[in-house]
Amino acid sequence: MKKIYLSLILTFSGVISANAESLTQLEGSFKTGPAIILIAILVIFVMVGVFFRAKDPADYYAAGRKISRVGSGMAIASNWMSAASVLGMAGMMYGFGYNGLAYVVGWTGGYVLLLILMAAQIRKYGKYTAPDFIGDRYYSRDLRIASAIFTILISFAYCVGQFGGIGLMFKWIMGLDYAWAVIIGASVVLMYTLLSGMIGATKNMQIQYVIIVTSFLLPTFIMAFKFDYFWLLPQIGYGAVVTDIVQGIPAPNISDGMALLNAYGHDFSVVPSPEYAMPWDPSTDTTFFQWVAICFSLMVGTAGLPHVIQRFYVVPKVTDARWSVVWGLFFISLVYWTAPIYSAFGKVLSSSPEVGVLAKDAIVVYTAQLAGINSLIVGLLAAGAISAAFSTVSGLLVAGASAFSHDLYVRVINPDSTPKQQLKIARIGTVIMALAVTIVALLKLGLIAQLVSVAFSMAACTIFPLFLLGIWWSGSNRAGAKAGLTTGVLVTTISITYFIVGLSGGSLPGQEFISYWLNVWYFAWIGAPLAVIVNIVVSKLTTPTPLEIKKFLAEQVHN
Amino acid sequence: MESPDQYNFSIFRPRNLHGRKNRNVIFTMLLIWAVTVFGFQFLLRGIQKPVPEKTLIMFESVWPKVLADDLSRDDYRSLLNSFVLVKGKNMVKPADQELLSDAISCAVFISMPDTLRSILLAEVAGIKSLKSQLVTAGGNDYLELSDQIREKYRSVIGMSEQYTGFREGSLEAPFLAASLNDTYPPSLNDASFAGLPDMMKFYLTHYQSVLTDTTFLGFPFHYFYTAVFLLVLFIALCIAYNILVEWRLRKEGVVE
Repeated sequence: MKKIYLSLILTFSGVISANAESLTQLEGSFKTGPAIILIAILVIFVMVGVFFRAKDPADYYAAGRKISRVGSGMAIASNWMSAASVLGMAGMMYGFGYNGLAYVVGWTGGYVLLLILMAAQIRKYGKYTAPDFIGDRYYSRDLRIASAIFTILISFAYCVGQFGGIGLMFKWIMGLDYAWAVIIGASVVLMYTLLSGMIGATKNMQIQYVIIVTSFLLPTFIMAFKFDYFWLLPQIGYGAVVTDIVQGIPAPNISDGMALLNAYGHDFSVVPSPEYAMPWDPSTDTTFFQWVAICFSLMVGTAGLPHVIQRFYVVPKVTDARWSVVWGLFFISLVYWTAPIYSAFGKVLSSSPEVGVLAKDAIVVYTAQLAGINSLIVGLLAAGAISAAFSTVSGLLVAGASAFSHDLYVRVINPDSTPKQQLKIARIGTVIMALAVTIVALLKLGLIAQLVSVAFSMAACTIFPLFLLGIWWSGSNRAGAKAGLTTGVLVTTISITYFIVGLSGGSLPGQEFISYWLNVWYFAWIGAPLAVIVNIVVSKLTTPTPLEIKKFLAEQVHN
Repeated sequence: MESPDQYNFSIFRPRNLHGRKNRNVIFTMLLIWAVTVFGFQFLLRGIQKPVPEKTLIMFESVWPKVLADDLSRDDYRSLLNSFVLVKGKNMVKPADQELLSDAISCAVFISMPDTLRSILLAEVAGIKSLKSQLVTAGGNDYLELSDQIREKYRSVIGMSEQYTGFREGSLEAPFLAASLNDTYPPSLNDASFAGLPDMMKFYLTHYQSVLTDTTFLGFPFHYFYTAVFLLVLFIALCIAYNILVEWRLRKEGVVE
């Protein structure tokens, strides 16, 4: 068997060597094949967007409530799986070892909370958007405005990481400068969102999901087969890769200067690197507390993200809302089981000093390149990553535009506006937001997954407590909600302020302490529970919730 | 007349039997969720022990001899080997990478005759120059430069083999070739020299336990549990919850 492998490798080495060598250069040139794939996919997206174009506000915000369970699950998964999932997560594991798995668990475990505590109840409440729910449940115009603003800010923070991912992939495919890549990518996604709205986006999300999964899974089968691991199910087969990294892989034999196979059957070698898999290893600069804090913040944030919650309004029935979570989680997990494979192969393929440490956010495509996979398949992978970012950004821009148009303009500024005016305002809001996100994305403030986790912590500190107590405790009143929200905002502001000051090289009192315990990537570990506690205490001390709200909750939501 | 208290609702104090059953299901699910996710991590944290890699044991056995200036040829190779095996990890911080390069260069050059050292230093300088050109090169230029660098690496490994014991094709050889500095004496000062044991300990000690050392389906068990099993469990929890809720709704004749 070994001889067969050996002869196969020797036979194919000549064929693939030119291709493999040209792939050693990971960046820099225009890649024709990948560019054609990307353009074809973008054209399909825009055509689907135009074909399923929103005709009125009900279509724009909630897809006319025409989406099936599986379709909604696919849309949830596609909407959810952003550049952070497809590009960022593998990068976190590559750079921070076991700590990166906190992102895998955090971004999936939150769906259990979402299902058990939110999905059906939100659908039963029957509101279009998160600010709609909050304004109505807490009988407060101020809270509607505040939550609309936070919905925009959360969508904004989330979008920044996505635009960064789009920029990286456009840069890789087109050989462009990062700034131009971000600007071009942002223009395309903006054009598409403006043309389609959510009904187009929902249809597109289903197509995007298929593209994301296919493009993401295909290279892992090839890599597992090529490097002689269990390839039929690489999501299990890569376990041996992880163990090989931990124990080290001896050098291959050399014949006439060419690497043959070593005792493990591989033509690469790795020094023993337990730090890759051992928990909170000191050399990864991560701790047990950070693992728990990141995981908890991402989980709670998942259950508080407006654009995720909003998806439960688009299903026809309450039971569909519940099952769409299950389908969504399953579709998401397919990708999340796969992301560590890129990280593991990336680790072994970059272990040679000739390759060196790879840029974390591009590890997925770099790994496929280093594995010598056909450049068209690598191009499809990059296009899939762009699809992931596109699907999320379009959902986020719609959520942000909804908050701007529906919750601020229609409910507060101009209640007599016509549907045409509302749609126009939604589109203006989308343009403003996309422009602002593009500017911030150009600053490259952090890794994609880290930037996105800011949005999760913000949602966990502000929106999640209002939904949790609003649904499950009729005693939570307007004053309690305002106090809880203020607490969440305060924690968020402190964390972000210290982050910005630290980034600019400055220092505030307790800079080191706050930067660790209230870090911008995971401040919700304390912010969210604090906001809940303050909400409860203040609600207990102030005027009770009005009878009609309690009655509605008891009869419509929980009966 | 309706009383405000009549419609009071809390997850802890449900209003009827249906609510109580619902609460019990929710709390059971949340308990399973919390214990399986965070409970396992606390367990992992609780039973972990700092375990040194073999490389650290090797390093610590020869370091006292370095301090006593009493190194045999084998000790010297063990020392070099331990430096190189840390240098080959790609999670080493840039400052520590430099320190390791200094230490490796020092250990290699110190044992060579002056003439060979001069030739080797020239080769390393050549590699450095080629690498700087590689940054801006593209297409065929990139490939040619890569080949030239590879050739020079081979040459460096071949010339130093007698003194390092690292043959071409060995695990350590490419890291050695990529680590050498083009100056001698190297910039390893007393302070950084004294810091080497702590740095080696930092990179070569890991938190391990029976959960990390047990292999399951090829994975270290804890890695499998977190990266694969927990996701399966989340889906199973969601399916179980939906089936349970819908079964109860049907049984109680509730239409949502």
